[in-house]
Amino acid sequence: MNMRTLLSMTVVFGLLVGCAGQPDPRTGGFFGGVAGLSGGGYQKRIQEREARLEQLRAVQRELDAEKGQLEAQKSQAYVKVQQDKAKVDAMQADIAALDKKIRALSSQEGVDQKRVAQMQKRLADLKAGLKRQESSLDALEGSGLGDSDVDLRRKQLEAQRDALRKEYDLLMKMQMELAQ
Amino acid sequence: MRGVSTAALFLAVLLTASCLHAAPLEAIRDILRRHLLNPPGEAALAALSEENLATKLRDIDPYARIFSAAEYRALTAARHAWVGIGAGLSLRGSVPILHVYRGGGADRAGVPDRVRLLEIDGRTVAGLDAESIALHLRGEEGSTVRLTVSLPGGGTKHFSVLRESFAPLDVEVIPPGEQRLVRIRDFVGGVTRPALRATLDFLTRTASTHEAAPLIIDLRDALGGDLYEAFDLAGMFLPAGAVLGIVRGRDGYAMEVHAPPGDKFTMPLILLVGPETASAAEVFAGILQRTQRAALVGRPTFGKCVSQTDARLSDGSVLRYTNKEVLFPGGDTCTGTGLTPDLTVAEDEMDSLPRLLERVQGFVRKHP
Repeated sequence: MNMRTLLSMTVVFGLLVGCAGQPDPRTGGFFGGVAGLSGGGYQKRIQEREARLEQLRAVQRELDAEKGQLEAQKSQAYVKVQQDKAKVDAMQADIAALDKKIRALSSQEGVDQKRVAQMQKRLADLKAGLKRQESSLDALEGSGLGDSDVDLRRKQLEAQRDALRKEYDLLMKMQMELAQ
Repeated sequence: MRGVSTAALFLAVLLTASCLHAAPLEAIRDILRRHLLNPPGEAALAALSEENLATKLRDIDPYARIFSAAEYRALTAARHAWVGIGAGLSLRGSVPILHVYRGGGADRAGVPDRVRLLEIDGRTVAGLDAESIALHLRGEEGSTVRLTVSLPGGGTKHFSVLRESFAPLDVEVIPPGEQRLVRIRDFVGGVTRPALRATLDFLTRTASTHEAAPLIIDLRDALGGDLYEAFDLAGMFLPAGAVLGIVRGRDGYAMEVHAPPGDKFTMPLILLVGPETASAAEVFAGILQRTQRAALVGRPTFGKCVSQTDARLSDGSVLRYTNKEVLFPGGDTCTGTGLTPDLTVAEDEMDSLPRLLERVQGFVRKHP
């Protein structure tokens, strides 16, 4: 027996000694596997692996659900912004119609032209406010704001739009009074 | 590159010169003569010339200013049109301070609010004026700029900040959310009041605060804005019909302003104020302090309870001048004196929001 063989035997012996007293089949390698097969450990190992697999599948399902929720939230936010934009478009059409009526008033005889001029000034402010809304909604889509801030921003824009709507209603009423 | 910069600067100088040359002096004199809050002497009006317009105007009215058409366009550009690092710049003496907006590039890069700016892209900003610093901070959308700032606790730190288009919140909610803490920087006509109302409704639904917890409004960076928006905002916290103040104009003009009807907010109010709190923001804070609806915490305010209006001139330039003064319900004004806080803090506490909040909590415990 030369030195190389002696060294190899020492290593094998060392491995066997290393496995002794460890019932966990996962640590055994070939010898451990053999020992596990003979001691019923193989079945246990399969069961453990299946249990682990089931755990991983459950985690994956949770992650998938969370991802779906986030995507739904994102698309919901997108839909909300689109709805807001549609409202702004509708208001713009209303304001364009009001603009025409006020211009018609300005060329009408016997109408208080000072009041018409005041209305035109307020209409210009209203248009500017609506333009601001439009741009803010555009900016919101690609903004760096976090989810909560985007939600807050939408609420702020909604409240500002309500205020613009009130101003529009008031101007509409004034225009009708003047037209009469 | 240096050549391009020089050319651009040269062009800017030429443009400015041509704008000044075209300034219609007689129209300016006439507007000031007829509408300025405190009528100017004829000698002072006669002394206005194309060469000294900027300085002599300020002798007549400290808040008067002439803007070229281009300057005015830039000034009134909507907040949605901003492209940059998402921060404001102020000079405290000669020290440049960054005011970081929530959700902007600087905020997302982690730059703390109200920090001293030391370098931009490795070049010191010491000795530069505000416009030069702003010029270095600005750049193409999508580009990055490296900022070196002095940290509040000592030491310096570098931040790489992306320049991007940015639409700041009209009213910011400041984290952490346990406090009802919001920040108003600007009083924009028809914009800030609904934004504040929406923000307070939002906070009521989302923040885990007690109903009786105070609402803290940070006005430290509020330089002013629309006077009537300030009245409207104050009216949200006061009963309908309450006197908010008197707007005084030329030739005995005086109009008493009352709180409008509508839903009111009744929670205790604390307003954070400082030397940069000015104009419309001072009017808002002053009304709520004088009516004992809010307590002020911070440092004395700027001291400008007058309002300006803008008159467009025939060449497209715009003259801004003082036309009205605001008196508080007691008949006094903040002009020249500023508002004195109910709790005055040390100067070095003003830049630390956590420290200010501690002071607020101590104040609230003593004055429940």
